[in-house]
Amino acid sequence: MSETISPATGSIILSSFRTITLVLFLTACESPETRVASGNKTGTLHWGNGTEPQSLDPHIATGVPEHHIISALMEGLVRKDSNTLEPVPGVAESWAISEDSLVYTFRLRPDLKWSNGDALDAHDFVWSWWRALQPALGNLYAYMYFPIANARRYYEGKLTEFDEVGVKALDKLTLQVSLENPTPYFLQLLDHYSMFPVHQATIENFGKADQRGTRWTHEGNMVSNGPFKLKKWSINREIIVERNALYYDNANVRLNAIVYYPIENGTTEERMFRAEQLHYTNDVPIDKIETYSNKKAHSLRINPYLGTYYYRLNTRVEHLQNKKVRRALALTIDRERLTKHVLKGRQIPAYAMTPPDTKGYFPPVSLEFDPEKARELMALSGYPNGKGFPPTEILYNTNEAHRKVAVAIQQMWKKHLNIDVSLINQEWKVYLDSETSGDYQISRAGWIGDYVDPNNFLDMFICEGGNNRTGWCNTEYDRLVLEEAPRGETDEERFDIFRKAETILMDELPIIPIYTYTSKNLVHASVKNLDPNILNQPSYTQIYLEGETD
Amino acid sequence: MNSEKRFIGTFEKGSSLWGDAWVRLSKNKLALAGLGLVIFFCGVSFLTPWIAPYGYEEQNLVLGASPPSSQHLMGTDIFGRDLLTRIMYGGRISLFVGFIATAVALVIGISWGAIAGYLGGRVDAFMMRVVDILYALPFMIFIILLMVVFGRNILLLFFAIGAVEWLTMARIVRGQVMSLRKQEFVESAYAMGLPRHIIIIRHIVPNALGPIIVYATLTIPNVMLLEAFLSFLGLGIQPPQSSWGLLINYGVETMEEYPWLLIFPGLALSLTLFALNFLGDGLRDALDPRTSID
Repeated sequence: MSETISPATGSIILSSFRTITLVLFLTACESPETRVASGNKTGTLHWGNGTEPQSLDPHIATGVPEHHIISALMEGLVRKDSNTLEPVPGVAESWAISEDSLVYTFRLRPDLKWSNGDALDAHDFVWSWWRALQPALGNLYAYMYFPIANARRYYEGKLTEFDEVGVKALDKLTLQVSLENPTPYFLQLLDHYSMFPVHQATIENFGKADQRGTRWTHEGNMVSNGPFKLKKWSINREIIVERNALYYDNANVRLNAIVYYPIENGTTEERMFRAEQLHYTNDVPIDKIETYSNKKAHSLRINPYLGTYYYRLNTRVEHLQNKKVRRALALTIDRERLTKHVLKGRQIPAYAMTPPDTKGYFPPVSLEFDPEKARELMALSGYPNGKGFPPTEILYNTNEAHRKVAVAIQQMWKKHLNIDVSLINQEWKVYLDSETSGDYQISRAGWIGDYVDPNNFLDMFICEGGNNRTGWCNTEYDRLVLEEAPRGETDEERFDIFRKAETILMDELPIIPIYTYTSKNLVHASVKNLDPNILNQPSYTQIYLEGETD
Repeated sequence: MNSEKRFIGTFEKGSSLWGDAWVRLSKNKLALAGLGLVIFFCGVSFLTPWIAPYGYEEQNLVLGASPPSSQHLMGTDIFGRDLLTRIMYGGRISLFVGFIATAVALVIGISWGAIAGYLGGRVDAFMMRVVDILYALPFMIFIILLMVVFGRNILLLFFAIGAVEWLTMARIVRGQVMSLRKQEFVESAYAMGLPRHIIIIRHIVPNALGPIIVYATLTIPNVMLLEAFLSFLGLGIQPPQSSWGLLINYGVETMEEYPWLLIFPGLALSLTLFALNFLGDGLRDALDPRTSID
C-alpha cells in the first residue's frame, strides 16, 4: 500500500503554534486526568494515525492510515497471526486447498452477523468481489484479484459475465475460489482490505454499487463485520470506532473503543504523546529518536518494516528518458551516509526495489555508490560535468523527513554531478494527483508491503500498473512478472524469475531505491499485546490496556 | 564656482521637514542605535556572498548537528551546514521580503487610503467596499491564488505578500486623512488653489506619518513570518535556500536536542525587530510636523 506520510515532522509555523497552544490548553483545563489515563480505565485506545483517511471504502482506499481503521472495522476470510504473519482463521473457520493448489474451498463460520444484525454469508463475498472488479469504481487494488481465475479478463472487459470469474458460493457457508495459477501467497491476500466483504444493502442504499464517494462509509451509515464499528467521524479531528457486539469473537476482544487521530505533524504528535494524550504514535520525528533511545521508559519501538523508500523518475520527461542519466543519478546517492547520519532510524540502504529477505528472497544487486562512474555516464549522455543538464525538480509531499532526504540528495547530486536540482513540496492529495497524472520529473515515493512476497514489490511496475506512475513499460518485464512467475511451482523457481525481472528493473531504473524502512513508534507502557511484525499491522482484537505499571 | 564671490544670504533659510526630522532623530540615541543595527544587518546581507565563512548549501553529513565551536561559530544544522552562513544568507531573503513587501503595502495602502479619505463620498464608499471584500477573502487562499497566477518566483512572492498586507494600512490612512482634511491648513492650501494631488502628498500624508510608520514597523515582522509559512507550504523559497523564518521554524522542532538552531536565528530576527521598532518610534516622533523644532 502506498505509504502516506511515514516520518512526519512537517511543521507549519502558524498552525503548529496553534496546535501546541491547543494541546497545552486541552491538557491544562480538560481535566486533571490525561486521555491515556482515562482511556486505560474505559478501555479506549488513543491512536496517532498519521493522516486523514482518503476513504474508508475498502475498494477505494490505498494507504496505510486507511488500513489501520479498516482493519478494525472489517475482517476478511483469513487473518494473519500478528506475530508470525501466518494465516489464521477469520471469517472462514477452515479451508481446504486442492492438490494442484488451484481451488480453495472456504468454510465460513455459522451465524455470522453484520454490525446491523443482518446475516453474513458466502454470497456477500461474491457480491463484494464483483464490486471490487467493476472498472467504474476505479479500484487501484483491482490487480490484487488477478490471481483468481478470469478476474483479470473480467476487469479488462474481455469477459462480461461475472459467473466465469473463479469465485462461487456453493451454499451459504461455502465459498469456492479457483485460481489462474498456484499462488502461494493467495491466503495472505485475503487479509488485505481490498478483499474484505462489504454490505450490499447499505451500499445500494446510498448510491450505485460502483459509484465512488457515496455516503455509505459515513458516520451512522456504515455497516461492517469487524471487531469494531464506526461510531464517529469528525473530519481532520478524530475517528472513533467502538466495540461491535455482534462480532463472532466479541468475547475475546478486550478494547472497548479506538480513537484515531489524523496528526500529520510528527512534532505535534510527539508532544501529544509526551502529554499522555496518545497511546501510540504513527511515527517518531528524526531528531527525537536519540532522545527517546536514551530514556528509561522504553516507549520507543523501532522494528524492521517491509517497505522501500524510493524516487520515481518520470521516464516521459526528455532528459530522464536516457537510461544512463537515470543510472548516474542512482549511483550518486550515498545511501550509507543518508541512513546513518540523516535518518538515524536504523534504516537499511536499499540497492533494489524488493527489501532483502522478503520471504527468503534476496534481490540482485547492481547498484552501488560510484560517483566516478556516474560522471562518466553523464559525460557519455552529453552532460560533461553537468553542463547543459536541464533544470530538474524533485517533488515530495510536505513532510519534514521527506524534505531532509531531498535536501541531502539535492546536495549529493550537486557535489558529484554538478547539476542543479530544485525541490517542490505539495500537500498529500495534490502530490498524489501530480504523480498520477505524470506532472512531475522526480518524485519521492514509498511502498509498504501488503503481504510478504516479492511479487508485491514487483508487480506494481507492470506497464498498466496503477501504482507504476513512471511511464516506464517493458514487455519482457511484464511477461516475467505476470506470466512466468505465477507458473513457478516452488518459491525457488518463482524467486529465480523475480530475480530476472528485478535485474531488468534495476538495469532500466525507472525508480531509484533509497532505503528499506523501519517502523518507528512511541508506545505507552499501558499498551499490552501489541506484537511487532514487519508489516507493522496491529491486531486490535488482542491489544489491551493496563494501568500504570512503573 | 568661485568661492570668493560666494553670496552669503541674509534671509533665514526655512527648515525642511526632512531636515528637521534628521535633527530630531539624531537626538534620539535609541533610534540611532536601531538605525545603525538595521544598516549593519543590511550591509552584512548585501556582502554575504563575499564574506560568508562557508557555502550555504555545503553539507557535512558525518558532522551533523554540532554545537557552536571555533570552526562553526554558531554551530551546524543536521546536515552539518554552517549556521552562521545560513543565517547570513537567510537574512538576505528575510530583510528583502520584509522591506519590499512592506514598501509595496505602504505604497498601495497610503495612496488608496489617502485618495478614499480625501475624496470622500461615493468614491470613498466604493474604494472601502473593495477593501472590505478583500478583507473578507480568506487570506491564505488569496495569497495562494496570487502565487498560482504569478508562479514560483521569489520577487513575485514579495509583491504578493505586499499586495495583501496593504488593507489595514489603507484603513488607517483613510481614517487619518478624514480627520485632517477638514483642518485649517488643508483648507488654506485648497484656498490657495493647490491641486488635489499636491495637497494630499505635501500636506496630508506627512501629517499622517506617525501611525503609518508604527504600522509599517509592525508589518515587517509579520511578512517575515508569513514568508516562512508560505515557504513551508511550498509556495515560497525552496531548500537549500533559507530565511530566518524557516530557520526558526526548523529550530523549534529540535529545540530540546539542538537549542542553538533556534537561539541564533531567533536572536537575529528579534534584534532586527527591536532595531526596527526603536527606529520606527524615533521616526514617528521625528517626522511629526506638529512638534516643532525646539
